[in-house]
Formats: sequence, C-alpha cells, structure tokens
Amino acid sequence: MPNGSSNVRTSRPTAVRAARTVALLALVALIVLFPSLAPDPFILSVGVVILSYAVLATSWNLVGGFTGYISLGHAAYSGLGGYATALLILRTGMDPWLALIAGGLIVAVIAVPVGIASLRVRGASFVIASIALVLIVQLVFQSWHTFTGGSNGLRVPRPFGTEVLRPEQHERFFYLHAVLLALALLTWWLIERSRLGAGLKAIREDEDKAQALGVPTFAYKLTALVVSAFFTALGGGLYALWFGYLDPIFQFSILIGSYMVLMSLLGGVRSLFGPLLGAVVVGYAVEVFKSQYGDTQLHLVATGVLLGLVVLFMPDGVIPALTSALNRRRGAASIREVSAEELANQREETAR
Amino acid sequence: MTGALFAQSLVLGILLGGLYALLAAGLTLYFGVMRVVMIAHSAFLILAAYLAWYFHERSGLDPLLSLVITVPLFFVVGYGMQRFLVSRLRPISLTTMSVLLTFAVALTIEGLLGFVWTGTQRRVQLEYSGASIEVAGVSIAVVKLIAFALAAVSLGALYLILRKTSFGRALRATTQHPEAARLIGIDTDRVAGLGFGLGLATAAVGGTALALDYTIYPSLHWHWIGPLMAIIVVGGLGSIPGAAMAAMLLGVAASLLQVPLGTTWAQTVFYLALFLTLMIRPQGFFGGRLAQRF
Repeated sequence: MPNGSSNVRTSRPTAVRAARTVALLALVALIVLFPSLAPDPFILSVGVVILSYAVLATSWNLVGGFTGYISLGHAAYSGLGGYATALLILRTGMDPWLALIAGGLIVAVIAVPVGIASLRVRGASFVIASIALVLIVQLVFQSWHTFTGGSNGLRVPRPFGTEVLRPEQHERFFYLHAVLLALALLTWWLIERSRLGAGLKAIREDEDKAQALGVPTFAYKLTALVVSAFFTALGGGLYALWFGYLDPIFQFSILIGSYMVLMSLLGGVRSLFGPLLGAVVVGYAVEVFKSQYGDTQLHLVATGVLLGLVVLFMPDGVIPALTSALNRRRGAASIREVSAEELANQREETAR
Repeated sequence: MTGALFAQSLVLGILLGGLYALLAAGLTLYFGVMRVVMIAHSAFLILAAYLAWYFHERSGLDPLLSLVITVPLFFVVGYGMQRFLVSRLRPISLTTMSVLLTFAVALTIEGLLGFVWTGTQRRVQLEYSGASIEVAGVSIAVVKLIAFALAAVSLGALYLILRKTSFGRALRATTQHPEAARLIGIDTDRVAGLGFGLGLATAAVGGTALALDYTIYPSLHWHWIGPLMAIIVVGGLGSIPGAAMAAMLLGVAASLLQVPLGTTWAQTVFYLALFLTLMIRPQGFFGGRLAQRF
C-alpha cells in the first residue's frame, strides 16, 4: 500500500488548530450578534427558520452521516415531536418546556420499534421503510380528528405571554434554537470521538467487516437512530412552539425530510459543521424562492435540480471537496480518515 | 358486510391490484437490472396521466390513443435516464444514491407539472366515464375494466418479452449475475438501459389507465409511490411474480378494508404489511433472493 503511511493520525499543525478556533469563535459571535444585526423582524424570523433547519439537518446527520443509512422520512420524527409537545400542553396542561423534553423522549421511544424493524435491512429497504414511516404518520394524523385535530391542524399555545411582542419572540426563539443546535453539534462531536462513533463509521464503510470484527452493529445503529430521533423531535417541538400551528400535510411532508438530506449532503455528511453550512445555503434559498415565487411550484424544481446535481457531482459535500482541493494545492500528505471507497480506488490504481 | 358489498369490493380490489401489479413490475425491472429504487416511477406515472389528459383536451380524441406517443417516449426517456444519469453514480453507494437521484427527478417532475398545468385538479370526461357493466349483482365501471385490461395485456407482453426473446434472456441474466452475463458476451450496460426503458414504459401505460378513472393533480404521485414501494418489498425486491402477487393481495386487502374503515385508514394496510415483512422476513415473501443485501 503506497499511501498507507499517510493514514496515520498525527497531531495537527498549531496554525490549523488556531485557525479552527478563530473560525469557531467567529461562528459563535455571528450567532450571538445576529438578532441585533438583523434589520427587521422578517429577517430575524428567516434566521430562526434557518437555525431550525440546521438543528434538523445536524440531528439527521447523527444517523445518516455516521452509519450511511439515508433516511428520507426524518420529518416523521420532527412532526411527531411537534405534535407530542403540543398535545402534552393541550391535554395535560404540562409546562411547555417540560412538554418539549417529554415529547422528545416519547419520540425516542417510538423510534425503537421503528429502528428494530427498519435497521434489519440495508440500503434500499431502509430508505423505503423511512418513506413509508412518514406517509403512515401523515395518514394517521390527518384522519384521527378527535385526537390530533385532523387536517384542520392544531393550534399550539405560546410559551411566552402576550406581553412578549413578535420581534422579542423571534429573538428568544433564535437563541433557544441556537442552544439546541449547540447541543446537537456537541453530541455529534462526542460520538465522533467515542468507541460508538468508530463502530458506526466502520458500519458505514463496510458493515460485514465491522460485524466480523465484533462491532455490535445492530445495537450501535439503533442507538444512533434513537439519539437522532430525539434531537430531531426536539427540533420539531421547538419549531412548533415558535410557529404556533401544526398542519399534518406540512409537518409530515417528505419534502422536509429531503431538505435534511440535501442540506447534509451539500455541506458534507462526514464533517461536524457540514449540515449547518448546508442548512444556511439551502434554508436561505428556500426562503428566497418562497417569497419570490410563492404560489408556483418552482421551489420544488429548484430543490430537485439542486439535489440531483449534488448527488451526481458532489456526493461528499462542499466541505470535503474544498478540503481536498486545499490539500492537493499544499501537496502535503493529508491527515484524514480514508473511506472504504477511496481504499478500493487506491488498490485498483496500484494493481494496474 | 353483506355478500354483495363483499363481492363488489373484491372485484374492485382485483381491478386495482392489476394496475398495481403492472407498476410494481416496472419498479422490479429497475431494481433487477441496476439495483436502483426508482422513486420517480410514480411521478412519471402522473406525468403520463397528465399527457393523456392534455392530449384529450387538445385533440378531443380518446386519451387511450396517447399511448402511441407516450409509450415510445417514456421508453427513450428511461433508456436515457439510465445511460446518462444513473450510470454516473459510484457503484459502491449506487443503491442509496440512486434513491436520492430519482427522488430529485420526482420533485422536479412534480414541480414542473404544477408550474405548467397549475395545481388545479384535472379529470378526463368521456362518454363512457360513467358507464358500468353489471355481472351477477356486481357493477363494474367500464373505465376500471379498461384500465385492468391495459395492465393485464402489458404484463402479459412483459412476461413474453422476458421469457421468449433473446433480449429477455439477456435481461434476466443481467439481473441474476451481471459479471457472468458480461463474460458470456452480454452488453450489460445496454441491457440495463433497455430494462430501464421497459420499466418506464409501464409507467406510461399505467398513467394512461389512471387518467381514465382518477382525478389527477401534481402531488398525487406520493399516494402511489408508498403502496408501490410496500408492494415490492413485501413481494421481495427484484422478483416480478412476487411483486404481482403482493400487488393483488394488498390491493384486494385495501379494497376490502375500505368498507369498514374508510379510504384513509385502509391505505395503512400497505405500510403495516411493509413493516411486518421487514420484521418477519426482510427478504420478502415471494422469492426475492436479491433483497437480502440491498
């Protein structure tokens, strides 16, 4: 193996580390200052939407990025999170914030049997099951009028009193979403450095080999899915508290699930901030399209074309594409993990 | 449930099952030749239905005649889609990435349909739209019979192509073992392209049948893709007889459950069957040796 030595992890140069710290601080500063920089409440509300997308995409990436199991039906978890939060407040009079967390836990519990059924099969069947999941919940929530409000939707009581005005609401929810995003990113970071993360990535690269090496593949996959569902549900619940209204058609739409996939793929599923970057780009584009061409279906075309282009030409995302371009320029032996596919390519080249 | 109502639902279920069977056979073809799950199948179905409707609106001729245009057109589009889009994906992640790619195609088609013909619901009005035949106390709408006949004839033709022609043999060889097929001189890339074209042609036939009997709108394809996906998993991915049997069984079951439960709840039978299959027999109930690893 000619490039074998380059795969060894060594400590990064201090310059790179310093640059990373600066970039991270700049990101935090940008998020903290955004509400005061935003010229009007509308821009601020777009900011809330984008952060909400970022939470969902990062949560999706907990299962999609680590295991390579692509779920197109994650909107089921975010929608259920929203409904669970709203119904707990409405039916039991629970405190909204308690209801949000309880809602997340309920959805995590629901994800267990779903995972047991769908994680037994790989690739195609898993994606089919994930689509089926979102379609089935949509059917149930549309039809079960007495419990969910059916197709008429459900009004969610606001957690802050009426004395808190609109812009103030947006600002509070902006920071709440930022905190949730930070938690999701922290979880991803912690898992990435753990034994669990190593096992999950082994599953992504070659599930059979991982299993042969003694990785408890099923338990690991299930753990990743449940954690991901929990954060996705919190994201959905927080959004519901902010937006104040739930409609089954929009909550359980495949489109929302596909946004999560598109954002993560575009940014890069293997990197911590990939989904966040993707959410900023796609979320902004979606909002612009909706305000410009509101009634037409052009935003579907735009989403479809963009997803197609990413899948065809940049399946690893923007961040890895840029990083590898940079590395090539520097000519340095890159310090990074190598995917099973890259190894196969290397082997093929040496064989020739 | 009275006997007459039962018989009526049973017949309706069988008629619907025939259409499902044809469409599921198309999905099975894609999966067989390329290990591709074609989410856009039902979007093309609705596209064909729109073309049939538009053809009827413009020319005033019977929408069935649009088949002369749509079937060859879809065959070419399917061939092109395989050769220029799907074959570009990396082999290692082909199955999952193809889902995303065809999903993107489905979104694009839905968006364009909405853009060109708006979201208004459309329906073909024909002289025989309301007509029905009564057999032994069961009344059957003529349009449903025509749809079933179209599906049955196409499925029969598909069967003959796959069993009796040398192209069919090449296609089945490609499905069973691509490397071995290449070794004996089959151009598997070309065969895969033609298989895709054949699969998409089933969507053209299905769409025309659909236009006769249903009110169509751009987002209708989501109502079809779910049941169809469930059918091919229950039948066993890659098995055409399996898909046809699962389509009949689930079509009839949904139709029978519609009476006590209503349309929406009856739809859930597809998804329940899907999840039960994944729990009990992930490779599917009928054949489906391929499904285990995909």
